[in-house]
Amino acid sequence: MTPETAQQFRALEHQAHDLMNFFCEVGYEAVAPSVIQPADIFLDVVGEDLRRRTYVFSDTDGAELCLRPDLTVPTCRLHWQRCTQNGSSTLARYCYNGPAFRFQPADASTAHPREFRQLGIELFGDKNKERADIEVLHLIVEALRRAGLRQFRIRIGDLGIFQDLLSVLDLPARWRDRLRASLWRPDTFRDELRRLATQPDASIEGLPEALVVALRGCDAKAAERVVTRYFDENDIELIGTRTLREIVDALMSAIADAEADALPAETVRLIELYFDVKAPARAAGARLADLMQENGVDIAPALALYQKRLKLLTELDIDVATVEFSAEFGRTIQYYTGFVFEVLAEPLGERSPVAGGGRYDNLMRMVGAKVEVPAVGAMIHTERLLSVVGDGGRRD
Amino acid sequence: MTETLVFAIPSKGRLMDRTLAVLEQAELYLQRFGSSRGYRGEIKGLENLEVAFMSAGEIASALRSGRAHLGVTGEDLMREEVSAPEACVEFVTKLGFGHADVVVAVPKCWLDVRRMRDLGEAAIQFRRLHGRRIRVATKYMNLTRGYFTRHAISDYRLVESLGATEGTPAAGTAEAIVDITSTGATLTANGLKILADGVILKSQANLIASRTARWDPETRAAQNQLFARLQL
Repeated sequence: MTPETAQQFRALEHQAHDLMNFFCEVGYEAVAPSVIQPADIFLDVVGEDLRRRTYVFSDTDGAELCLRPDLTVPTCRLHWQRCTQNGSSTLARYCYNGPAFRFQPADASTAHPREFRQLGIELFGDKNKERADIEVLHLIVEALRRAGLRQFRIRIGDLGIFQDLLSVLDLPARWRDRLRASLWRPDTFRDELRRLATQPDASIEGLPEALVVALRGCDAKAAERVVTRYFDENDIELIGTRTLREIVDALMSAIADAEADALPAETVRLIELYFDVKAPARAAGARLADLMQENGVDIAPALALYQKRLKLLTELDIDVATVEFSAEFGRTIQYYTGFVFEVLAEPLGERSPVAGGGRYDNLMRMVGAKVEVPAVGAMIHTERLLSVVGDGGRRD
Repeated sequence: MTETLVFAIPSKGRLMDRTLAVLEQAELYLQRFGSSRGYRGEIKGLENLEVAFMSAGEIASALRSGRAHLGVTGEDLMREEVSAPEACVEFVTKLGFGHADVVVAVPKCWLDVRRMRDLGEAAIQFRRLHGRRIRVATKYMNLTRGYFTRHAISDYRLVESLGATEGTPAAGTAEAIVDITSTGATLTANGLKILADGVILKSQANLIASRTARWDPETRAAQNQLFARLQL
């Protein structure tokens, strides 16, 4: 679907031009971040999993660079540079349009080209998060309509609900970390849940019994002495960048975990039922409220925010009946932290949305910000959009 | 013009010696073209077959691209060369030599890390305390990524290392490694241990056929002839 003819290219450019005009009119500043980006920052932000899909190369001076796999991270970098160099406010609205590059396996469908044009918006620094979430969703929908898209469905998700659920459940902090860390791999997550429910004491499996006994009840200093002695007796050298303190801390929490009660079956069931929720947005809201009440779990604030977004959507003339909530949706994309959405249109399948986006409140910190900068953004797959609406979709 | 079957054989070391021994057992004798140092040759009595001597790494890449029809190389190198090897090559048979395990190893002093999931936790802790991801030194970038993803570990960075990988944790240039080992002695000498579920691949030399090479009746016939002699 990458444009190979001048005519296709022009059609795409026309469409992009109209979309960018629209975003500029509603107060989003057009920016053009560099195509070539330092690989370092990308790899640190997106992790090795996206690295395998990123074109990384070295220049003559040995600097590691990459062709940007998306435009969100470059826009975050650009924004942060402005904030530090010009003392600009962290509140900002940007729009952009340009190519992004991702390796695709040989059998990828034409809806997944390795070079694609991404057009999107980012809204930084707005502390009224739900309003900002819905502003972005609304503008994307509005832009798609203007481009001629008539029939579409919206899918929403909210990683914030799960985070809240996890923090009110009664379980050791380390288990929470572990579940959070495996959230993006549903199979591993399920295994982890099952394991915590059946044999949590496996956290010390393989540790010498005598060492565990010696460490039980020790404070940090005493534990360090025990471990140092163990190293001496077993001819183990302390090498590497992890400190003795870090190793001992991790050991002590593993030992503490081994004594914790197994995760109750009801908790496992609740988490599994939560991820099963997939329904029209209103029905899903009711289902979530029921589910939490039946289990005596109070995540009222998160549920109130969910309802607040639905209300805002209705006020903006988006038919909530066309919106589906899926608790699963968004968990496999690592940098999202809260509200997520995508717009689906026929004949493109479920795996090829025409637009999508969400909240990523940690990303600015990863590119260097010293404080959390709330951020929400979304992008349109312009090639997919054009393939659905065709040239006729253009309004002059 | 008829296509000649290209059979790629390791050009040096034990891998070459053992390959030649396997062939000789089947009374297949190699003759190099030109000088005895030549990189091309033939097998006496086999028609339409040319032998190409290459490094084991090159053989994996030639099998992927189809420059070689058949080749002998390590399973580790083949799986590192392509993420889904079954699509472009066929592992015909294991040859029983060149054994080496591709393993995940960490400093012995990491008492808290004994399995992959412990490593995942240590990686989260490390990122929180050090503000960066743990570095994993390896020459097996693809194998490592695939294995770490399967174990839902994402808080790490790969550092490409083409030699003396096992020394990187002590030198402070990486926190953990993925490397090959046959006895584990080098790892131990460098203060490292293999994780209990840290064996990514038990590799050995394989006879491998390329699916992307040009196969026509002549090359098929040459292959059949060779396989018959090798009793495959």
